Amino acid sequence: MHWASSVRTAALSGNGPGTRVGGDLSPVAGASAAIVALGAVEAVLLFDQPDAPWQLALFIVAAWTWFAAGVVAARRRPGNRMGAIMVVGAFVWLGAGLANAPLAALSAVGLVVQLLPLALVVHLLHAFPSGRLRGGASRVIVAGVYTAALLLHAPAYLFAPGDAAATLQLADRPDLVTLGATVQDTIGGALMVATGVLLALRMRSATQAQRRLLAPLALYGIVAVVSTPLLSRLLDGAPLAFFTAQTLLLTGVPVAFAAAMAIGGFAPTAGVAQLSAWLGAADNAPATLRGAVADALGDGSVALLLWAGERWVDSDGRAAALPDAGATDAGRPVAGAGGRGPRAADAGRRGADAESSGRGVALVEADGRRVGAIVYDATLIADPAPVAEAAAVIALALDRERLTAELRVSNDGLRDSRARIAAAADAERRRIARDLHDGVQGRLVLLALQARELSRSDDAGPAARAEAARLRTELEAALGTLRELVQGVLPAALVERGLGAAAHDLADRMPLPTTVLAGDERFPPAVESAGWFVIAEALANAVRHARARRLDVRVQWAGGGLLIEVRDDGGGGAAPAPAGGLAASGGSGLRGLADRLDVLGGRLRIESPPGGGTLIVAEVPCGS
Amino acid sequence: MRVVIGEDEALLREGLALLLERGGFEVVALAPDAETLVRLAREHAPDLVVTDIRMPPTQADEGLRAALAIRAERPETAIVVVSQHAQRRYADELLAQQTAGAGYLLKQRIVESEQFCDDLRRVCAGGIVLDPELVSVLLGRARPDGDPLHELTERQREVLALMAEGLSNSAIAARLTITEKAVVKHVANVYDALGLTPGADDHRRVQAVVRYLSS
Repeated sequence: MHWASSVRTAALSGNGPGTRVGGDLSPVAGASAAIVALGAVEAVLLFDQPDAPWQLALFIVAAWTWFAAGVVAARRRPGNRMGAIMVVGAFVWLGAGLANAPLAALSAVGLVVQLLPLALVVHLLHAFPSGRLRGGASRVIVAGVYTAALLLHAPAYLFAPGDAAATLQLADRPDLVTLGATVQDTIGGALMVATGVLLALRMRSATQAQRRLLAPLALYGIVAVVSTPLLSRLLDGAPLAFFTAQTLLLTGVPVAFAAAMAIGGFAPTAGVAQLSAWLGAADNAPATLRGAVADALGDGSVALLLWAGERWVDSDGRAAALPDAGATDAGRPVAGAGGRGPRAADAGRRGADAESSGRGVALVEADGRRVGAIVYDATLIADPAPVAEAAAVIALALDRERLTAELRVSNDGLRDSRARIAAAADAERRRIARDLHDGVQGRLVLLALQARELSRSDDAGPAARAEAARLRTELEAALGTLRELVQGVLPAALVERGLGAAAHDLADRMPLPTTVLAGDERFPPAVESAGWFVIAEALANAVRHARARRLDVRVQWAGGGLLIEVRDDGGGGAAPAPAGGLAASGGSGLRGLADRLDVLGGRLRIESPPGGGTLIVAEVPCGS
Repeated sequence: MRVVIGEDEALLREGLALLLERGGFEVVALAPDAETLVRLAREHAPDLVVTDIRMPPTQADEGLRAALAIRAERPETAIVVVSQHAQRRYADELLAQQTAGAGYLLKQRIVESEQFCDDLRRVCAGGIVLDPELVSVLLGRARPDGDPLHELTERQREVLALMAEGLSNSAIAARLTITEKAVVKHVANVYDALGLTPGADDHRRVQAVVRYLSS
């Protein structure tokens, strides 16, 4: 397509990946000099005629404005082509102004490109925000608009009415001019309707923030284009007024687009160079790597995924999925860092093709191994090169993050398996206690009953009766032992009513006055068991060692978990931590409790200032 | 007296039924779980419901809850709950809903079958029967210095315990082999010491004593 090649040649930022670094101004300086000089020359040309209206200066103003907007946009987002289109537009405006030049050849150029500024506005509308045309429909419409502006405009000058002196005139055929204008208006109108529909569809899938930005912008662009034929009819008798209004309207378009790129969801890009500098700094934290990449690419939605050997995970080690764009040919080396240097060339091709999901993916490799991926907004960043470059730069840092995540995963796995083992042990203990409680105790009661009856039976001899009476006593003793055993493993109150009731039941049997503050809330069985052992052990410890006069127990939900506090008013001075010292002061049981809690992700804390009593605090999270 | 039994252990359930039949009760229904117990109690309108506290489906306190539900439906139903472990909280809940006789006994009391049947009959007659172990927990709870309970004599504590178990003055006299007159005197002294107002009947007396001991 013709427009595409012209965009490429004139693009400020089209000088290839690798050399694009924020702040490189030399091509900008060159183009600036050119536009200023050309504008000045054109101004001299235009005003070197008698009766030249001042409004001709608007061409120069429009050109310079489009250029300035283009430079601002390009500097703000180096990888984005919106600025390039605007800069091309600046030159087109200068060209259009030439229609009024006194030299026939220049005037001919001007007549041919006269309507191109309108086409460029439509191009900007379709290309926003990345600067690239997304989808076949956009490409067809924009190509159609350029065709309408160039080819369908031809009858207007080829068959211009008036004497034969007019430039490019083939014949004086006003009928053909009218016909051409009608065809042009019809096709142009249809293309504008299609543009409106397409933008409306696009807005449906945009985020709320993007929509707030896109809607007024699209409206303004469409009005600016459509008003051209309308205004020309309304202001038929005042061509200069029409021209002034139209030019000002169209001049505002790139300004609006550049402003839109500077606000809202379209953050500036910090550039890959800054990303490198950031990575070089000693104190950067892995957690902010994503933020640094997001700044560098100007895409707040950037996500970093890590390759965990056979699946994708996020930085917390949770399973994650690549968006559609990156779901293919996983083995292909794409971007790398290490001995052979970055191989970043086609990293983001997936991104460029990611029209379906709107997300692009750049794989990150270090030393030929895949370590992760950058997932970015492909509707915002059409050019994959800077993403590939960023992928190469962060390869080692991301690898480090990947290793950290792996460690975290295996650590979590270890903790989970320990917790599962502890939970299984607890469940097994409960099962045994329940079996003893439900089955064996009942049988012993019945046996004791039978032994008692036998001991009083007239059918049995005196010796047998005495034996039966002894048997009954033995059975009842066994029953008592069994009851104590079951109660020690799985307290009735705990299994029937939960930790609060069990704490009350414990307190009822304490030799010291013990107050309990506890509700009826239930916790997971393993947590309740651990909590009960904490309370029982802490109370027993206080009774044994603290020389306390009263005890306090609190059981409550706090911060999404179980919080237990056992306090005594004794002498204090117990070891501050449940290691070593506690064992010395008789707290070896507490050491075991600390282990028990640790398995559940909980912890034990002991405050025991000399003379200030002892406070034992146990916290167990109950998240999952 | 018509009885419905709730007990999930089949052997014990049958043994209990046999024991009660022999003790002169008419066992009209047996329930292996709490839900069935409530249904059968509704169906048979028994004078007495005897149930294990821990019952299926969750093996928690379904039996107690079922008994309280039955009592709420038919307040004149006497209830006796049995369990392996004596808990003050259950006694509080049982006595809070006091419209007819109630009992809370350890399972092992079944062994002393005549005594057990006597206890059930007392409950059927509107009395309260609390297990001696429960009473000993209540009496044994540690109390701060200066609590009036510390002032009681050994004999007075014995009388208080038997009061809490639900015994009448004459039963206490028989148990302690002292005269009923002596018991009345002890009871009055205990009431004075604890600041209780003498109750109108044995029933209220147990409630007041247990409330005192449980506070």
